[in-house]
Amino acid sequence: MVVGDISTGTEVLVIGAGPGGYVAAIRAAQLGLDTTLVERDAYGGVCLNRGCIPSKALITGADTAHEAAAAEEMGIHADPAVDMAGLQSWKDGVVDQLTGGVEKLCKANGVNLVEGTAEFASEGTVRVAHGGEGQGSETLEYEHAIIATGSRPIEVPGFAFDGEHVLSSKHALDLDSVPESLVVVGAGYIGMELSTTYAKLGSDVTVVEMLHAALPAYEEDVGRVVRKRAEELGVEFNFGEGASEWEPQGDGVRVTTETEGGETATYDADTVLVAVGRQPVTDTLGLENVGLDPTERGFLDTDDYGETNVDGIYAVGDVAGEPMLAHKASAEGEVVAEVIAEEPAAMDFQSIPNAVFTDPEVGTVGMTEAEAEEAGFDPTVGQMPMHASGRALTLRESEGFVRVVADADTGFLLGAQIVGPEASELIAEVGLAIEMGATLEDVGSTVHTHPTLSEAVMEAVKNAEDAAIHTLNR
Amino acid sequence: MVREFTLPDVGEGLTEAEIVSWLVDSGDAVSEDQPVAEVETDKAVVEVPSPVDGTVREIHAAEGEVVPVGDVIIGFDTDEDDDAGAATTDTTGGADDETVESAVSAVAETDDAPAEHVFASPSARRLARELDIDILTVEGSGPGGRVTDRDVRSHAEGDASTEPEPKPESAVQSATTAVGDEVDELELGGGASTVTEGEADRDRTLAAPATRRLAEEEGVDIDAVSTEQTRDGEAFVAPEQVREHAAGGVEQTAPGAEAETGEAGETPAGGVDLDPLPDAEVQRRETREPYTGVRQTIGEAMEESKYTAPHVTHHDEADVTRLVETRGRLKPEAAERGASLSYMPFVVKAVVAALKQYPILNSQLDEVAGEIRKKHYYNVGIATATDAGLMVPVVKDADRKGMLDIADEMNDLVEKARDRSIAPEEMQGGTFSITNFGAVGGEHATPIINYPETAILGLGEIKEKPRVVDGEVVPRHVLTLSLSIDHRVIDGAEAGQFTNTVKRYLEEPELLLLE
Repeated sequence: MVVGDISTGTEVLVIGAGPGGYVAAIRAAQLGLDTTLVERDAYGGVCLNRGCIPSKALITGADTAHEAAAAEEMGIHADPAVDMAGLQSWKDGVVDQLTGGVEKLCKANGVNLVEGTAEFASEGTVRVAHGGEGQGSETLEYEHAIIATGSRPIEVPGFAFDGEHVLSSKHALDLDSVPESLVVVGAGYIGMELSTTYAKLGSDVTVVEMLHAALPAYEEDVGRVVRKRAEELGVEFNFGEGASEWEPQGDGVRVTTETEGGETATYDADTVLVAVGRQPVTDTLGLENVGLDPTERGFLDTDDYGETNVDGIYAVGDVAGEPMLAHKASAEGEVVAEVIAEEPAAMDFQSIPNAVFTDPEVGTVGMTEAEAEEAGFDPTVGQMPMHASGRALTLRESEGFVRVVADADTGFLLGAQIVGPEASELIAEVGLAIEMGATLEDVGSTVHTHPTLSEAVMEAVKNAEDAAIHTLNR
Repeated sequence: MVREFTLPDVGEGLTEAEIVSWLVDSGDAVSEDQPVAEVETDKAVVEVPSPVDGTVREIHAAEGEVVPVGDVIIGFDTDEDDDAGAATTDTTGGADDETVESAVSAVAETDDAPAEHVFASPSARRLARELDIDILTVEGSGPGGRVTDRDVRSHAEGDASTEPEPKPESAVQSATTAVGDEVDELELGGGASTVTEGEADRDRTLAAPATRRLAEEEGVDIDAVSTEQTRDGEAFVAPEQVREHAAGGVEQTAPGAEAETGEAGETPAGGVDLDPLPDAEVQRRETREPYTGVRQTIGEAMEESKYTAPHVTHHDEADVTRLVETRGRLKPEAAERGASLSYMPFVVKAVVAALKQYPILNSQLDEVAGEIRKKHYYNVGIATATDAGLMVPVVKDADRKGMLDIADEMNDLVEKARDRSIAPEEMQGGTFSITNFGAVGGEHATPIINYPETAILGLGEIKEKPRVVDGEVVPRHVLTLSLSIDHRVIDGAEAGQFTNTVKRYLEEPELLLLE
């Protein structure tokens, strides 16, 4: 212990106040455990400050501007001017409201909040270094520790983030002006969301992707719908190319890419955004002091109860492995808090839904047809194109489809892939069905409101039963 | 494409089976589920259904051949061009149980979702965890077999109302209990035997050829002769029963009871209805499980041993304080050489040394030849609790193996027994057995001899107890010993002397260096 340290004890120590950590802390406190939450930066983590929430705010802003400008077929003529600073300040207001809310909730539930960077000193103790010179540090003794330190963007070699020429997703959410041109490295969900956003705000966007599809983690027909719409918005795709280097070019950048065969190409733009994935933050925690060994990619292995291979140390959220999603982190946080309180909780989620806020949106949950086959099911598939949905047409968003996958023998829902307006919301219904063990008949027999997009889910389910009304049964 | 079909595990615990007859020839067209072969296990003749639609390409096993489970017995040509349903295409000889079993269950019930999936609401899952139930074992009553909260609860209640499943470690004892239960049943059966008089109506009856001839002479349908006797689980009829039947079994009816003549009663021949309660009531209060496979094999072995060999059990205790120290010192050394050293190798060594001095305990009574066979080799069986029941893998020629070799071999065999990959020959040829009932706690037991061996040593738990040494009460590590012997062959004095010798080796383990 460093001289001058103050030592305090806590039953549950949570490191990181993102959607995994703050939820775990609140739940633990609700269950009567003496809980301390350590955060070095901002309550709410990446999700609230540099991820989910600010990006959705910008996307809404971009959509509003774009839709107003593109409504002539509806007889609406407008030429909106985007004041980026105004948009940013509105976004910051939303973020502040939410992070403030998290802090208040923690306090109201009796969570002790400590600001600083936590590092394991030995088994049972953590040292928290307070930010800034001369702020000192303190030592906390814990009975149970929950690691919820989240993730950070991966840097591509040669593309160190500087916030000016080379942007991470965090920087891209804080721009005070819309770049005239933008190269985006990576066509995964973050790259595609930001490409679409800036294309709608008026940037010339060029996407460079090593693989051969937009949203390559998804089924081909899902990515195709998103790519087609992005191309309509003016996004230019260059597949099979990896970013190899960049150099300043005037006030902007010149990005060089290379194909597998060694062919190079260059793209000039105001700035380059690198969005090639995220890596867990486990390197600042002093894990070696408690004998914790992260995997090659930096994750911590956990069991069904979220416990690492060191007794009493748990991990939730991005550090505990893929998928790196806020709602997965929160769900794990709740489970771990309940496990520590000796409640019969465990990580037995049947499926974790997933949303991409592109145009149109993507929502998936559970298994694809191929995954169901691989798992040993005899899958049956039902699909409903959005252009057959009255509500989709009235929203002027008729691209995409709802597809459901079920077990042919029993009718149990196994998964769904939705591309279309509000896919991120629609997917929740299928998630509930999977979690509850509902069958095609259960969902198909549930009366859905007309005229809504949710009817498309019902129709897709009925299509799997060869009983769809508004589309031809296959 | 070609589909190779392996012999499935047609009965629990089956390791091999005889191909009785082929019901198809090469080139025959077959449809899925059509019986293609009759296979005899040591329990019954069963039909093996075809897993596919197609034509028989080649038959790999001859009639009369005994085939290990997992061996390819027949190949089919099918129209399928992919290998979906790989469960039945496993061509490796060492197909694991799950693969093979899934082949069988796939035939029986094609609707099953993959075994690791269960459809249930989050509340049902949580309830199962709360009640400490593996939700995969709960049978669902909802649509498609969905597991509801109520299913979980009734599963939990079902568990509580029936005999608790023996924990793997307690299988040694439960095997003993099973024999006890059987005695009860037989007694009840004996007392109620007159109730079953009347006509039976079986498809199949075991009887000696002479008995069959007698039945023919008397004009009696042997399948109609009621009997309580069974052989290998099938009804068995003796000559006197045929005569009684011919004379009109009515006279055998208990005095005062209504004569049951003509039609067979509802009670199947050979079984006694122990339950005066209505069926529904019985089903609510009981769970019925088939007495087959490994369970039945254990039961029959126990029955044969206990009814054949008059058992005497000799109890004693050994002060193993020094053994505990010795083993404690050697354990890290053994670990460095990659072996996990338990007390069992010491016991095996001590037993072998004592058997050399008292060879009568390493013997077998050959009743047919009228000889006692003393074995000059030392194959030590280690009673092992497995999920399927008691198994006794055998460490062969233990006298010629070092302590660590024994430790390795034993650990390996025990693991194989537990995952049921053990070969039958690895459980045969024992000359003496050891059962460690102390693994689940306990001081003394009355172990049942692994017949036709003539002795078995049971080990209690090593516990610290107050003992008098040099007039002082001091804590000592004490191991209790329970040696059962076949009193036809071995007398109590020999049992005592043998036990004393084993004790000596366990109390002064360095003596084993001289062996």
